[in-house]
Amino acid sequence: MGKETLAWLILFLPLAAAGTIALFTRKHPTVSVRLSICAVLASFVLTWAFAGAWNEAGRFSAAAEWISVGNFNIEMGITIDRLSWIMLLIVTGVGSAIHIYSYGYMKEDPAFSRFFASLSLFTFSMLGIVLANNFLQMFVFWELVGLSSYLLIGFWYGKASAADAAKKAFLTNRIGDFGFLLGMIAIWTAVGTVNFEEVRNAITANKGIFGTAASAIGFLIFMGAMGKSAQFPLHVWLPDAMEGPTPVSALIHAATMVAAGVYMLCRVFFIYGANPAWPEWLGVLDGISALQIIAWIGGITALLAALIAVQQNDIKRILAYSTLSQLGYMVMAVGLTGTDAAMYHLGTHAFFKALLFLGAGSVIHAMHHEQDIWTMGALKDKTPLTFWTFLIGTLALAGAPPFAGFYSKDAILAVAFEHAPFSLFPLAVIVAVLTTFYMTRLMLITFFGKERSDAAHHAHESPGVMTGPLVFLAILTVIGGFLGLGNIVNAETEHHAGSWISEAFAPFSHAPMAALSGIAAMLFGAFLAFGLYWNAERDPLPEMARTLSRGMRNRFYFDEFYETLIAGSQGALAKLADMVDRYLIAGLLVRGSSGFVEIGGRALRLVQSGNLQTYTFMLALGVALVLLIVFRTGL
Amino acid sequence: MSPILTSIVGLPLAGAVAVALVPRNYRFVIRAIAQAATFLSMLIAFWMFWQFIPGKDGFQFVSSFEWVKSLGITLKLGVDGLNVGLVFMGTIVAFAATSMSYMIKDREKDYYLLLLVMITGILGAFASLDIFFFFFFHELALIPTFIMIGVWGKGDDKNYATFNITLYLTLGALIALVGLIALYVQTGAKSFDIAAITAYVKANPIPVNTQNWIFPLLLFGFGILVSLWPFHTWAPLGYGAAPTATAMLHAGVLKKFGLYGILRIAVPLMPEAARSWMHVIAFLCLGNIVYCGLVAIRQRQLNLLIGNSSVAHMGLIFLGIASLSVVGVTGAVVIMIAHGLLAALSFAINGHLYHQTQTENMDQMGGLMKRMPFIGTVIVATMMAGCGLPGFANFVGEAMTLFAAFKNFHLVTALAVWGALVIGAVYMLRAIRNIVHGPMPEHWQRANDAQGPLRKLPFILLGGTLLVFGCFPGLLTEKIKFSVEPIVNMANSTPAPAHK
Repeated sequence: MGKETLAWLILFLPLAAAGTIALFTRKHPTVSVRLSICAVLASFVLTWAFAGAWNEAGRFSAAAEWISVGNFNIEMGITIDRLSWIMLLIVTGVGSAIHIYSYGYMKEDPAFSRFFASLSLFTFSMLGIVLANNFLQMFVFWELVGLSSYLLIGFWYGKASAADAAKKAFLTNRIGDFGFLLGMIAIWTAVGTVNFEEVRNAITANKGIFGTAASAIGFLIFMGAMGKSAQFPLHVWLPDAMEGPTPVSALIHAATMVAAGVYMLCRVFFIYGANPAWPEWLGVLDGISALQIIAWIGGITALLAALIAVQQNDIKRILAYSTLSQLGYMVMAVGLTGTDAAMYHLGTHAFFKALLFLGAGSVIHAMHHEQDIWTMGALKDKTPLTFWTFLIGTLALAGAPPFAGFYSKDAILAVAFEHAPFSLFPLAVIVAVLTTFYMTRLMLITFFGKERSDAAHHAHESPGVMTGPLVFLAILTVIGGFLGLGNIVNAETEHHAGSWISEAFAPFSHAPMAALSGIAAMLFGAFLAFGLYWNAERDPLPEMARTLSRGMRNRFYFDEFYETLIAGSQGALAKLADMVDRYLIAGLLVRGSSGFVEIGGRALRLVQSGNLQTYTFMLALGVALVLLIVFRTGL
Repeated sequence: MSPILTSIVGLPLAGAVAVALVPRNYRFVIRAIAQAATFLSMLIAFWMFWQFIPGKDGFQFVSSFEWVKSLGITLKLGVDGLNVGLVFMGTIVAFAATSMSYMIKDREKDYYLLLLVMITGILGAFASLDIFFFFFFHELALIPTFIMIGVWGKGDDKNYATFNITLYLTLGALIALVGLIALYVQTGAKSFDIAAITAYVKANPIPVNTQNWIFPLLLFGFGILVSLWPFHTWAPLGYGAAPTATAMLHAGVLKKFGLYGILRIAVPLMPEAARSWMHVIAFLCLGNIVYCGLVAIRQRQLNLLIGNSSVAHMGLIFLGIASLSVVGVTGAVVIMIAHGLLAALSFAINGHLYHQTQTENMDQMGGLMKRMPFIGTVIVATMMAGCGLPGFANFVGEAMTLFAAFKNFHLVTALAVWGALVIGAVYMLRAIRNIVHGPMPEHWQRANDAQGPLRKLPFILLGGTLLVFGCFPGLLTEKIKFSVEPIVNMANSTPAPAHK
């Protein structure tokens, strides 16, 4: 088999699985699950055939024409380079673990086959984004990912809250997609192509190619990431997306899909190389580049989400806000031109956040679908394997050395320190404090203290098919940091093969300020949380900081604000349009004119009767009229 | 001389004659005849579509029968890239609409007779290469439309809706007719043959001031037939009251007649006027895309929602035409075909739901996915296609249209993208949420899914075609673009003399 065939197989095997399940094996759940798992595993294995891609020489690309009309030439292409290869490994690797885990988690669900068909559809769409070689192809798969996310959030569609959450996720994403599509339309209009390489070359050749639209294009493209990666102000859908089954939250809403926005920004980062300029009517923004906006939105998201996470009580929602916050970190790093740091954190985050979500799923499974942490407690002895793997995930997220999260977070802090030492860097450190704080709180309440309910008393460890993936991801989380993941992602720095020990201490010599502040922030956050939550019966925070706590608990009222906003703008416009249609156009004009015609019709009924005749008469009248005009004007 | 198009158009007509000869209580025979005629017509059209050679000059599968020699009227049928897909789509919708007619239990003979005449008219209008028959076939299809809505229609507003749609469409057709006759007289080509007129006008352009009064007649005459804003209120009302098959055929296929007329006749023959009117069209189409989209958000009735969304989609086609570029106009034709299938699918769904639940009010539905896994899946797919999900043909057309329109109309395109991606998604997703998702009320325990392969076939055919064209858009664009090119070139050609 040629290499090209293998590459196409990586992409299309999951689609084949999804199609087969949907059409033929719906009634045979065990066949369905095997098909789905085999497809993603096969893609994972095949990805290794392209391991050479992380050298520029081993880059692989293939393409087939999709649409070709005039200068609108769109390909369905495959590009495997360092960036996409890493992403392939994450998607298929973490994906495989979660597919297997789901076998155990979803076993009793009657719609087992539908679940795996959707999961395979998701894998296909996600791989399409990763492999895309042009903007429009990326948009196609971008939308398909949105569809699979919609289907999986609304998997239990009979539940009103799940159905609403699915709808909200899709619609919020569509607002981001609006900018994304408009941005690529503007790029095509300026450059005449949507192919990544060709656009990159065009910008390199002429940095002023976008003229005064450059910064607007940069921002519009970023809007896509804002939706998919749930950045402020489009962040509201992600916490609600937790209505989906927990493996879905792990795969789609933590490890891969939500990271697609960050990946996309890294993939098309070259567009930010164009000379920044705003159109005249946006003159107030002069002097601010699109990248600065991106960095600040990332930073604000990181802070805001971390604050909200502090006062959530649903185990999955805490993790969801934590995901938002970490995505904010990545986006901030992109905005500060640290794409390598962003991709590094994307990779390690995929491991430990998937691990945490699957761990949470295992806890929820043990607790018989109870998600409130204040009903849990003392689970460390009941579910030891879950506890230890969850602890590893927490340490990684908090940024404790030598876990993977430490290295990648340190990379981001270093970037922030270098480019914005007095604004975004302190903000990022505060976020690090909060991260440790809410994760320690979660750990202490869930796994330590006393059993707070019967369910906690009767909790039991999950089966091997679920704990296996936990262990696998825990291992990745431990070793991911000094496996040199950073060096694989890092395209610019030449990697000198040093010993792994010097590798492990690299952050301290490379950017000591960042590394030390990171560790200090972690210790401080943990210290605060221990003080407040060690053996706590209730949450002491609401009494200590009433207003702030209420704001955090209510997610700073964003949902309520948006509801009012939408009702006041689009909703009001729709109401107005409907009224105009109903009463003005239809009511006055049509009924008015129909009244007129009716009188005419009644008059005509003296001679003829019925609509058809009126109609024929009018037709004849028209012809006569034209002939009259024609002959009178003598043409 | 090729018998292909003659049989595609002639089979439904032969079916109508046969139905007329069968006694009215042989209901099964009547239905079988209608099904067989439309099915065969569809198979032949598929063969034609398959055999069509993209890029070949002129028309293919041409057949002609001379009628009135002195006036140059000939029944001439033929296809090029512009209408081959439309005719093929028309036959699919025709078969699907006939299949969905099982709900009609009353005066079946009259119904099927009118249905088959309507289908003949529709297919004839799109296959005709002669302006006289182009218009004649359209009228042939229109009259049964009115009667069917009036007799077999539903809802409280039935009479008002019938009156409304008759008034509007007659007015539109009349204005277009005035324009066509004026065009015939003005060109002096002494022929109704579209190819002959086009060639003649190429050599002897119509003076600009003449173009300036004929073009708006055709634009607004045809525009009314396509529910161009603000002449759109007839559409949701009329479709809402129409029987399922009629709504499928009119919203899906016959409505595209006006667009086809603009592209085939108005734009290439009157390029200067077309260029100067495109700005107006671009702004009017926002009325469709944004305004009617907003109206659709407010609808509680599924039929009115579909009707308004179908009006909104017309705006995107107008936007593609307004771009006057190969990419945009090709995209517009792709949407015409895609929307035909989509509208038919939507009204078929509405028909099934109404048949099962006796209501069209979405607030009373909910959770129907449990009772109707097949129809429920079709609903999700259809609504997703309707808000531009890639994989369905609509996305391809919409993307091409929007990409091409941006060059000349920045703000309009930006708003159109908002309309297509956000407003469209708001009402489509609300429909899914209200109809198939959420808890199911007790009283729908007896609502049934589509039973058996025959009842599922229309949905599979329409949705499957939409999916195939969406994944392999080359099947359409490779045919369309070669026929669009000369039209766009003519529209962008050098100015004509101001006076004759």
